[in-house]
Amino acid sequence: MTETIERDSAPPAGQPGPGPRLPQILGPIETAQWLWRRLRRMSTALWLLFGLAAASVVATFIPQEPVIPTTVESWRAGIEGPGPEVAAAFDALSLFDVYGSWWFMTVVVLLFVSLTGCLLPRWRAFVRSVRRQPVKGRRLDELSNAVAYHSTRDPEAALAAVDEVLRRRRFRRRAVSADATESGDAQIAAERGHAREGGSLVFHSAFYVLLVGILVAQSFGFIGQVNVAEGQTFTDTRISYDLAEPGPLFGLDAHRGFSVRLDDFDVGWFPDGTPERFVSTVTVLEDGQELRTEEVEVNHRLEHAGMNVYQMRFGMAPLLTVSSGDTMLYEDQLTLSQADADTWSGVAKVSVADPQIALEVLLVPSFAVEDGEVINRGPAPDEPRLFANLWVGDLGLERPVPSSEFDREGGERVDAVELGEGETAEILDGAIEVGFSELTMWSGFQVGHQPGRSILLASGVLVLAGLIPSLYAYRRRVWAEARPTPEGSRVVLAGVALHRKDAFDDEYAALADDVAQALGAEQRPVEPGEATVEPGDVRSEAEEPTR
Amino acid sequence: MAEFYDAQLGSLSHTLFNTALVAYLVSMVGYFFRMAYTRVAADGSSVSTTVGRRIGQAATALALAGAAVHLASIVLRGVAADRVPWANMYEYSSALALLAVLVGLVVLQRRLGLGHLMGFVLALSIVTMAIGLMLYTDPGPVVPSLQSYWIQIHVTAAMVASSIFMVAFAATALYLVKDTAERRVAARSGSVYGGSTVGAASVTSEADGQPDDRLDGDADEARYASPLAQRQVLSPVLFPLVPFAVVLAFVLVVWRAPVAALLAASVAALVGILTWYAVPHLPPAATLDTVAYRTVAFGFPIWTFAVIAGAIWAEEAWGRFWGWDPKETGSFFTWVLYAGYLHARATHGWRGRRAAWIGVLAFVALMVTYYAVNLFVVGLHSYAGV
Repeated sequence: MTETIERDSAPPAGQPGPGPRLPQILGPIETAQWLWRRLRRMSTALWLLFGLAAASVVATFIPQEPVIPTTVESWRAGIEGPGPEVAAAFDALSLFDVYGSWWFMTVVVLLFVSLTGCLLPRWRAFVRSVRRQPVKGRRLDELSNAVAYHSTRDPEAALAAVDEVLRRRRFRRRAVSADATESGDAQIAAERGHAREGGSLVFHSAFYVLLVGILVAQSFGFIGQVNVAEGQTFTDTRISYDLAEPGPLFGLDAHRGFSVRLDDFDVGWFPDGTPERFVSTVTVLEDGQELRTEEVEVNHRLEHAGMNVYQMRFGMAPLLTVSSGDTMLYEDQLTLSQADADTWSGVAKVSVADPQIALEVLLVPSFAVEDGEVINRGPAPDEPRLFANLWVGDLGLERPVPSSEFDREGGERVDAVELGEGETAEILDGAIEVGFSELTMWSGFQVGHQPGRSILLASGVLVLAGLIPSLYAYRRRVWAEARPTPEGSRVVLAGVALHRKDAFDDEYAALADDVAQALGAEQRPVEPGEATVEPGDVRSEAEEPTR
Repeated sequence: MAEFYDAQLGSLSHTLFNTALVAYLVSMVGYFFRMAYTRVAADGSSVSTTVGRRIGQAATALALAGAAVHLASIVLRGVAADRVPWANMYEYSSALALLAVLVGLVVLQRRLGLGHLMGFVLALSIVTMAIGLMLYTDPGPVVPSLQSYWIQIHVTAAMVASSIFMVAFAATALYLVKDTAERRVAARSGSVYGGSTVGAASVTSEADGQPDDRLDGDADEARYASPLAQRQVLSPVLFPLVPFAVVLAFVLVVWRAPVAALLAASVAALVGILTWYAVPHLPPAATLDTVAYRTVAFGFPIWTFAVIAGAIWAEEAWGRFWGWDPKETGSFFTWVLYAGYLHARATHGWRGRRAAWIGVLAFVALMVTYYAVNLFVVGLHSYAGV
């Protein structure tokens, strides 16, 4: 976080310096100061980063409730995983929801506190150092990167030529008059490479932008999931979603109230039975008016009124009828979910009143009989065959969710039937007629409102825009001094890099060549006897600190 | 269903893949010979004998030829499947290995002048390709969620960054070996050795602006006076044995293939003993540390971009930027560790060996994110499995 070198913390105020140290109980203020100092240390930040990393390892290998709740349930029940006792321990440490746990939040908060503690002083120092004029150089001849030129121009003209070279190389320059330098020669002080620290500060500060973006997205955002059968419509209101995760600040009235009708659903299959492409053709309606028709598929969402509709899942939805005499008990497209590679299953709640009636349905999309056994030839529904069991009794159907489950213990299976598409059959000695009129499809959408996208995008841009200069830019200072000689002037060009010295060596060599060209003079090493500053000269007076 | 891919082109592509693999293998041996004929002086400058140079040139030519054949294999694969040729693990491993070879040739050999270390980069590429072979699938189309131009942006960036990190890993691992040797030699010769700061002394200057020349003369002499002493302080038994055991256990547990496990473990043991042999021929630890740092600094922004691009794609395809899916978690973990490495390099008490170990851990995390998450953890990215 900082490139500041750590020092052993200075003794807190009021504590004796050297001498025997007695064990001392820190007061609340001292403790706070101590904590603050500790938090600002780079190694603390590193440990916090590793804490974050450790948390993500845990979350990779332990199922996370917000991601796969069913697996977590089976871990808790001991069906999967290391057993219910371990699962209980995991729960105590909220390891099933690492990213929502108190300890993860603590690490994140501490990291941001530590970041703030690092960044505030650095921003201040950075602004100060950017504002400051390039620093005067002293004893240029003694620097490791130094060359001399003997120019025929007078010092002023020679320095002007050097200044032009530095300007073209985008250095910040400052002319120092002869009486202000230590050597008594006119000087140009130049500097470049604030982009390093600036980039680093932008990179680190971008995480606050990221944090704001996440908070906005989570507070004002909404995610809902809904399954719709072909021909059916869903409306953007809270109750129409099968699953809704509104942010705390996304109210019931924040829904847009438009409707989406699934006109058609198409799916193509690979030979191995996985879907090649699936597309929902939908029409957006507002107040009953058809606005537009669009295709929604994976990687291509529908956007309307600030809500985005994504294609997620799909399945088979046979249109079923269950009637008793002239009374229609059930007529609906039943959404089936994929039970295994070959079959789709679901449960129709025929009657919720006493006695409850349920139709348990199994669908084979491409039915065939081979050696007396039912097989499925492929995923495409070209020969759908429906197998239904009729259950009667106290089936627990009054519970709202999950719709595909029912209580088998409370009732009994009274009859079974097998139907092809367009067929009807009578069961229970003609008391009930079951029909499979048509096979339609259903499509599962995720509907989301994602505010803060531009903030999040901006944070990503800032992270990269800051990161690259913080790794590649480097600060360096260059000075040129010209002393009058009988032929014209002797110019010394010297430079120092604060980072990436190897990169600077190359740059300095190129710069020295450019200056040689500009001055029309050959560069030569600075000779020891040639020092611009005579011993016992100005050096003794006005020792200006270079910092 | 229509014909999904061109089977002939697919098998030609695979033949070229195998050809490139053989070329890399021979080139790797050549590079190791070149290394053996290279003497590294105290200041890190290296001199090869004439034989060494010739073998080195042949090895470079072979590596380049292998890379050309490899590129042809990848292009053909793309033509055969009619999509970007890095959409499953075999293809990704192949492209990753090619990129690592190219990064090694361009960055390590040309820019940094450390061509005699290319053998190690080739070894990593060969291992990657061998794993790719085990995950071979015929070219075919991809699931709907991968049918997006974002695969070119996100996956390519991740792949480029990974290949750079691969070269960085080679440098980091060699740094740790060399640093150990330097320390032990110094300890044996009884000279006062500067401890953790020495390995990084000539590099630290980058961060804190200290002068470069802090190595004290005696330790310097002790370290380079007898390069062979560096070999003697390291165990010739442990160097092949540890990689052998680790790889054997890993492959046995993961693939349950004893023959493949023995083969892979033998290769690892060979690389291990080669590393032991190579110690006197390696540049000074400080140089290796700088190489590692620079390559990580090169790869890190690209990895950052890959993660950001992934988040944007996820938002487009699944309606959320970040869902802590195992792959997302893993790439975040890798990112945090590399960020930690870069920070550690700028922190007193961490730079040198400690930072290097973080770098090693980060690379392991990268590999786990890539292989283990695809193969063993169920998540949204599972489609990319195999």
